[in-house]
Amino acid sequence: MTSTLKGITLKGSAELVAEFFSFGINSILYQRGIYPPETFTRVTQYNMSLQLTTDAKLKTYLTSVVSQLKEWLFDCTVQKLVLVITCLETNEVLERWQFDIECDKSAPDGRASREKSVKTIQDEIRSVIRQITATVTFLPLLETPCAFDLLVYTDKDLVVPEKWEESGPQIIDQSEEVRLRSFTTSIHKVNSMVAYKRTDSV
Amino acid sequence: MAEGGDVEWELCKENIQPLRRGRAISALHQALNQQQDGPISATSQQRQAFESELRMYDGDDPLDVWDRYIKWTEQTFPQGGKESNLATLLERVVTRFTEEQKYHNDPRYVDLWIKFTKNCHDPLEVYSYMQTHKIGVTQASLYIAWSEEYENQGNYRQADLVFQEGFKKCAEPHDKLLQFHKALQARVSRQVMMNEADDSSDDEPKQPERMSLADLKHRGKKKAIAPVNRTGGAIRSVTGGLQSHGTSVLGSVSNSRLLIFDENRAPSASLPEPRPEPWLAPPTSKAKENEQRPEKWCDVKVPQKTKFGHTAMAPPPPKPTFQPFVEESDQLPAMTPCKINPAVNTVLSARKPSREETPLKRLQQKEAEAGKPQEQSMYCKELLLSGATEFCFEELRAERYFKKKAQESQAGKEEKDRRTDC
Repeated sequence: MTSTLKGITLKGSAELVAEFFSFGINSILYQRGIYPPETFTRVTQYNMSLQLTTDAKLKTYLTSVVSQLKEWLFDCTVQKLVLVITCLETNEVLERWQFDIECDKSAPDGRASREKSVKTIQDEIRSVIRQITATVTFLPLLETPCAFDLLVYTDKDLVVPEKWEESGPQIIDQSEEVRLRSFTTSIHKVNSMVAYKRTDSV
Repeated sequence: MAEGGDVEWELCKENIQPLRRGRAISALHQALNQQQDGPISATSQQRQAFESELRMYDGDDPLDVWDRYIKWTEQTFPQGGKESNLATLLERVVTRFTEEQKYHNDPRYVDLWIKFTKNCHDPLEVYSYMQTHKIGVTQASLYIAWSEEYENQGNYRQADLVFQEGFKKCAEPHDKLLQFHKALQARVSRQVMMNEADDSSDDEPKQPERMSLADLKHRGKKKAIAPVNRTGGAIRSVTGGLQSHGTSVLGSVSNSRLLIFDENRAPSASLPEPRPEPWLAPPTSKAKENEQRPEKWCDVKVPQKTKFGHTAMAPPPPKPTFQPFVEESDQLPAMTPCKINPAVNTVLSARKPSREETPLKRLQQKEAEAGKPQEQSMYCKELLLSGATEFCFEELRAERYFKKKAQESQAGKEEKDRRTDC
């Protein structure tokens, strides 16, 4: 028991990070009102209350993305995950949540475990999600109905799986960028950032 | 863990008012850093610069300075509050240009009005004031804000009517109006559907559903788990996905979740048509706190005991069971003598009666005064008082002097340039 609690393997790390994305994306979708709040249900994770979608289609979509992501995390071939929020009518990109993933490729054998307890990692993850929640203090109100899209940046030589397609980076021009906290499992490091349309103020 | 040290905003997140347009993160950092160092002169210098620009501006778009000043204030004082002076500024700017026809449908001016409205006690009154004065009647943003206000109060029918009025006036941009109208309809229909689904499932009288934000955990040895019941406000906010989060829910908002429009009922008052003089009698101030309605006291009786038949012997009760009404002024001498100098004791000071008049009322008063013979001040009173703070003559003089000096040096330089050219 002690050995499983203390160390972390590549597989475990990939799972933790994928889990973070699952909860993180759900949180953002809830916070930013992309889906109506009544389609979310509350769960307790990382010692805090989080909202998870109950929409069947969205659920399947997210599960498929996250499971694919887990594979890539395990292979250490993923570089970035980006959640883009666009205006439904004009297709204009309004917000861009970017998660940069740094993989430590020196630990690919999947056996060797590093010294970092799951609890510490989860504490770090919690503070990232807290900060995502706190961003409403400066983010502009999304006044129009919005859609979201997930982009994944991988290594170049990777084969594009079925149901995935290549896309542009969907950068916001004239954006304001805010770095958020980051966390690391000692194998994967995730840096978070949000970009939003700049206000027309002085 | 905190990379870049940019966690200032997270530590102060409760003290940052969310803005509809969001905040520039750099301005936010600057503002928060300055707060820590105390009131640093950079802010007051910038404010002074704006104040003097307000006075010295001689272009043909004075609203521009105001607009920039107010936006700067919003970004620089994230926690709002008194020192930001935002309420005063907004009031000044909307009053200042009520006469200016050219600004009446300027989007900036209308936006300022809408911001001003958010500070008012009764926003609906202000919106209809705007309508009667033809301020922003061709701007979609007015109708959107107005409708949102009705929606927040649960009056979906009026919210829809406001949009109809907007369409009638061909408010621009038309797309935006259409889009928000659609969104409103979607929200209302979804609510109706949800409500119907709820009603069909159980016919019991509907209690507001109880929700908990998180389960309570027991501490120490106690194992008892307290039920967590949250009703009312906590639930009301869970309405539409895209409802405005910026506007605060007013106290008058009822707990009822939905107001169903009954077609068969006689149509109640529709949108107030612009009447010629509807604002001569200002609405009563509702901003007073702890207001007690006057009640009748003469009929109050102490119930007599008749159970044991000795009503006649019963002595009059030494104290009435009710609290007799005592005039406030009579009560004063009974109070313990105040040892603290009342001038110093600012904690929980009473509301000044003069502050109880709403900004709207002041606006109307000003208008009423406009009819009276004008006082003429023999000094540039407007210039001294036009901003949020008062200027003194010397400041104005200095401003003019510096301007002149700058012009002179500019001219001198140009002269020199010309000479070198030759």
